[in-house]
Amino acid sequence: MLTADRLESPMRVVIADDAVLLREGLVRLLTENGHEVVAAVGDGDALVAAIEEHRPDISIVDVRMPPNHTDEGLRAAVTARERVPRTPILVLSQYVEVSYADDLLADRAGAVGYLLKDRVAAIAEFLDAVGRVAAGGTVLDPEVVSQLLVRRRRDDPLRELTPREREVLALMAEGRSNTAIARILVVSDGAVEKHVRNIFTKLQLPPDEEQHRRVLAVLAYLGS
Amino acid sequence: MPSVDDMTTSTALTSVSAQPSARRPMLRQLAADTGYVLLGFPIAVASFVVLIAGLALGVGLGITVIGLPILAGALYAARGFADIERLRMPLVLRQDRVRPHYRSAEEGASVWRRVITPIVDAQSWLDLAHGVVKFPITVFSFVVTVTWWAGAVGGLLYWTYAWAIPNGPDDQDLTELLGLGDSIGARIAMYSAFGLFFLITLPVVVRGCAVLEASFGKALLTGVAEMRNRITVLEEQKRAAVSAEANALRRLERDIHDGPQQRLVRLAMDLGRAQQQMETDPEAARRTLDEALSQTRDTLAELRALSRGIAPPILVDRGLPSALAALAARGVIPVDLTIDPKLGRLEPSVETTAYFVVAEALTNVAKHSGATECWVVVSRAGDRLKIDIIDDGDGGAHVSKGHGLAGIADRLTANGGRLDVLSPVGGPTEVRAELPC
Repeated sequence: MLTADRLESPMRVVIADDAVLLREGLVRLLTENGHEVVAAVGDGDALVAAIEEHRPDISIVDVRMPPNHTDEGLRAAVTARERVPRTPILVLSQYVEVSYADDLLADRAGAVGYLLKDRVAAIAEFLDAVGRVAAGGTVLDPEVVSQLLVRRRRDDPLRELTPREREVLALMAEGRSNTAIARILVVSDGAVEKHVRNIFTKLQLPPDEEQHRRVLAVLAYLGS
Repeated sequence: MPSVDDMTTSTALTSVSAQPSARRPMLRQLAADTGYVLLGFPIAVASFVVLIAGLALGVGLGITVIGLPILAGALYAARGFADIERLRMPLVLRQDRVRPHYRSAEEGASVWRRVITPIVDAQSWLDLAHGVVKFPITVFSFVVTVTWWAGAVGGLLYWTYAWAIPNGPDDQDLTELLGLGDSIGARIAMYSAFGLFFLITLPVVVRGCAVLEASFGKALLTGVAEMRNRITVLEEQKRAAVSAEANALRRLERDIHDGPQQRLVRLAMDLGRAQQQMETDPEAARRTLDEALSQTRDTLAELRALSRGIAPPILVDRGLPSALAALAARGVIPVDLTIDPKLGRLEPSVETTAYFVVAEALTNVAKHSGATECWVVVSRAGDRLKIDIIDDGDGGAHVSKGHGLAGIADRLTANGGRLDVLSPVGGPTEVRAELPC
């Protein structure tokens, strides 16, 4: 059913990964699921150029690329979002680091994702995450989320949240919709909505468009 | 003071000492030692006179301000004499010329500071002590050396001047006292025997005198500097070891990331796709699974290569020759391997370093040189293991950062070895490594 949904809205995708093996794998995977890969490139500069040229629905970017094999992909992503604001970007990496996530979320615009490469194997979930980022959501890897839980400061507004609200917030950070959160926590949609409202109030987020408030809540969660 | 050990090993230089190239013919050594001792005497007299006078005057007048510049002057003079001695020492002792580091006043410092600088410098006082205390030692070695030369020459030539020596009835010669009679033949025989004794012992005795004097100089004049140099070398070794380890770890991470990790991610991707295809298109699923299988095989091969790179099992089991033979056989470029058959097993750290050097050098050759053939020669000379890697490629290799050669140089330095790279543009390239074993 999900597949059918996506087929109705095929996405135009740019892929940036220096490993041909993975680039090809991603191209096949996306093509088989009805999406169009408009460009597959191997380094940061080419990524920025491809985003400027094609204005894709989403770019899937490897963190580590030539020439230095450190965080070129991340920096290229940030540059690309300066040139083409709010262009959705999903960053994939063999490791996830909170400081990388901070860089990515710094412009507070949403439409970003940061996942371990391993997540690609669960194809339905991966494609779901791709779709959510393309739609302007924020998707963080559960690994990042659990690292964040350790990094909490003492004077944190998040300390006021109940454990249940924190669970909800963590799932929001992973980019889940209210319905998905309700399903995962095995509660009603209404209960989740109540938790989310409480979170917004406790974090003193101004009443605004729902999607934007979710992003801000996640950013509060990141402590940035 | 020179230790007895120092003296004996140096004296016995011709028989056992370390480096064959350092041996000198006996006659040249004798001439050098004699010259050193004879010339040392007037220098020692001059230095003793100047320094004692300067020291006495400087210290005596120390209570007035004039004493200090005089003392500083004496210390500078001592430094001059010390420099002369440091120049002369390598003639006798096998060592490089070393000059200790002296404290010097900064530019634009006041006159007062300039006067104080040599006085607070420890090496200056060692120079002074050397210039003064050396005197009796020099006198001793000078006297012994002159005596031995005189004995040898005078005794052996006795027959040429025996006639000129007055021999009155009341004179008693040593021959008579020894009961050998008073004939001229007996006298010539005895003095010639003495001369022969002096001549035979001359090289050893003169060598001993020269070494005694020079070792004293070495202890006071270059000891500190040598220790400092040694420390610098050790620090350099430590830096290289740390850098080599950091590089190795970084490279290992990179190799894992670019190799097996990448393949496993792709494998997971393919398996996910196969799962998806299973329901809609079993034939496509089968093809994807085939690919996944070959992906697994590639991953295993990569892991094998990787672990072999970390610690090759064959090196541990069979030693360097077998490991290098295996390495050469796996290479892309034909390798002509020559290993000293008497090599045997070496220290594990030496074997690992040697293996690493060859492996890395061969990787470099394959990657950068464009060579069609390569020669590896491993030999042992004394306590040094020598590894030469020569290729017929384009040349132009150098130990610069980011190149494999820098890693080799670090590994060698860390183990007390050294690396020479001869690689003119146009080739051939010669990588010569040496390490203690």
